[in-house]
Amino acid sequence: MTPRIGDMLTYLAGIVLAALFLMPLLWLVSLSLRTPAEVYLGAARFIPEAPTLDNFRLILTDRAFGTYLWNAVKLCALGALGAVAVATPAAYAASRFTFRGKGPLMVGILMVQMISPLVVIIPLYRYLDRLGLLESHASVIAVYMAIGVPLSVWLIKVGFDAIPAALEEAAAIDGCNRAEILLRITLPLAAPALASAFILNMIMGWSQFLVPFILLTRDGQLPIAVAIYNFAGSSSASTTQLLAAACLVAVVPALAAFLALQRLIVRAIMAGAVKG
Amino acid sequence: MTGDRRIWLWFAPVLVVLGGVFLIPVADVIRFSFSDATLLRPITGYGLDGYASAYGDSSLPVILRNTGLFTLLSVVSLQAVGLAIALLLVRGDRRGLYGMGLLRTIVLAAWVIPGIANGLIWQMLLSEAPFGAVNSLLRLIGLAPVAWLSDPDNAMLSAVIANVWQGSAFSMIVFYAARRAVDPVLYEAAAVDGASPTAQFLFITIPQMRGAILVNTILVTIQTLNTFDTILALTGGGPGRATEVLSLNIFNRVFYSYDLGGGSALAVLLLAISMMLTLVYLAVLMRRGAR
Repeated sequence: MTPRIGDMLTYLAGIVLAALFLMPLLWLVSLSLRTPAEVYLGAARFIPEAPTLDNFRLILTDRAFGTYLWNAVKLCALGALGAVAVATPAAYAASRFTFRGKGPLMVGILMVQMISPLVVIIPLYRYLDRLGLLESHASVIAVYMAIGVPLSVWLIKVGFDAIPAALEEAAAIDGCNRAEILLRITLPLAAPALASAFILNMIMGWSQFLVPFILLTRDGQLPIAVAIYNFAGSSSASTTQLLAAACLVAVVPALAAFLALQRLIVRAIMAGAVKG
Repeated sequence: MTGDRRIWLWFAPVLVVLGGVFLIPVADVIRFSFSDATLLRPITGYGLDGYASAYGDSSLPVILRNTGLFTLLSVVSLQAVGLAIALLLVRGDRRGLYGMGLLRTIVLAAWVIPGIANGLIWQMLLSEAPFGAVNSLLRLIGLAPVAWLSDPDNAMLSAVIANVWQGSAFSMIVFYAARRAVDPVLYEAAAVDGASPTAQFLFITIPQMRGAILVNTILVTIQTLNTFDTILALTGGGPGRATEVLSLNIFNRVFYSYDLGGGSALAVLLLAISMMLTLVYLAVLMRRGAR
């Protein structure tokens, strides 16, 4: 097989794969732009003849949907911020100090990553019920935070590892104390690692279904992922186009964040999977 | 700072958060599993009733079979698809072909879609109504429609397809990194010796990536076992119990049947499987680290 033929086959396979992976999203877009009459035409009307933005208008002007989106942003942003804040000191200590029990501790943190939230949500529900903390965003944020911590510790540690200790030593000679060194030198240099941990946690939080579904029941508190599940339960064939628009509204923020920050995210997955 | 007790201050926030949200609840799940508690009623006594009812349940063999089948099919296909795309990307990079970054972006885009949305999207694609995407396409080209979601065997296949569409990107990234770390000299030497591309794949690529494949297999297996939101949104576990996997069964048992003891007994099983796989994973990492 000559290289030229190999290149053609590579292009062919790439195009087929890209089409297969893109098709579900394109279909979603197609449905969301249709009138009910055109939904019933199926694949024959992949490109709607009378495209309409009415479905989006209905979804986006619904006050409830705005609330769901805002709730999702709030929960996953604060959860991600909390995870990074909690993980950073531990990651710093793990990167800079040697001490007894460090290996088992870091392995223990990694093992927590493998525990399904489904296992712990059962007792958590009971604790929070007894404390009267169900129906509270603070509880959900705390759980998101904990779910994000293990991966964050490892990702941020890798980031600190890449910063030469000599830089810190130089600052110490210049008379900076440890807090100053950390705030002025080390943290700014570790910003890419902190940012990628934050973004990865945001995306995980945006996808979360189980935790808010169990801990929250009042409609005005739900994030978008739970809201579209409930919406799907109440929709029928005649509202497929609305469900498609709602799904798209739930998916687009995650896609946009991903497209804007793809490099950080890919690097984070590699560091997380290969090192961790 | 070796031996300094203050070192633990740096870890205090992590230990408090993980202790409160993971360690204490895990201990409690094990305790609940030996109790007669329901979601709303406190514990009045301990015993093995939870285990007896959960493990003696006539539906359990079906659930375990579903879990095994779903996990096996998912883990094999996720990695096969991920590996194929990764190798395609590496070849494209090497030959300077266009659009490789775009392909990677498209595959990764599916990965950020929430599991619930993924299930709903595939429900719309595989809908058996006359206007469902795949079935109306089949009809356009003159083929008979397929009962994607109402036939038990097909429903399992549909759940795997949805899972693979969303999840392949993870394996792709892991394998892409691993393949690029293989020393190119190996391929040059093989080419000089006249090894065919198939031989190079079988005798260089696969053996060199063995560690990455092993580690990835374990990670993907744990992820697959622990998630159920795609299935919940796609089929709800049906038709009947055809796609009800262990994690979905635990969820239903605890939060719809309020059977906390039985649900906890099965959660302990899920936890035990995850932890066993994690120990294998750690053993593999340590052996690789030692080498």
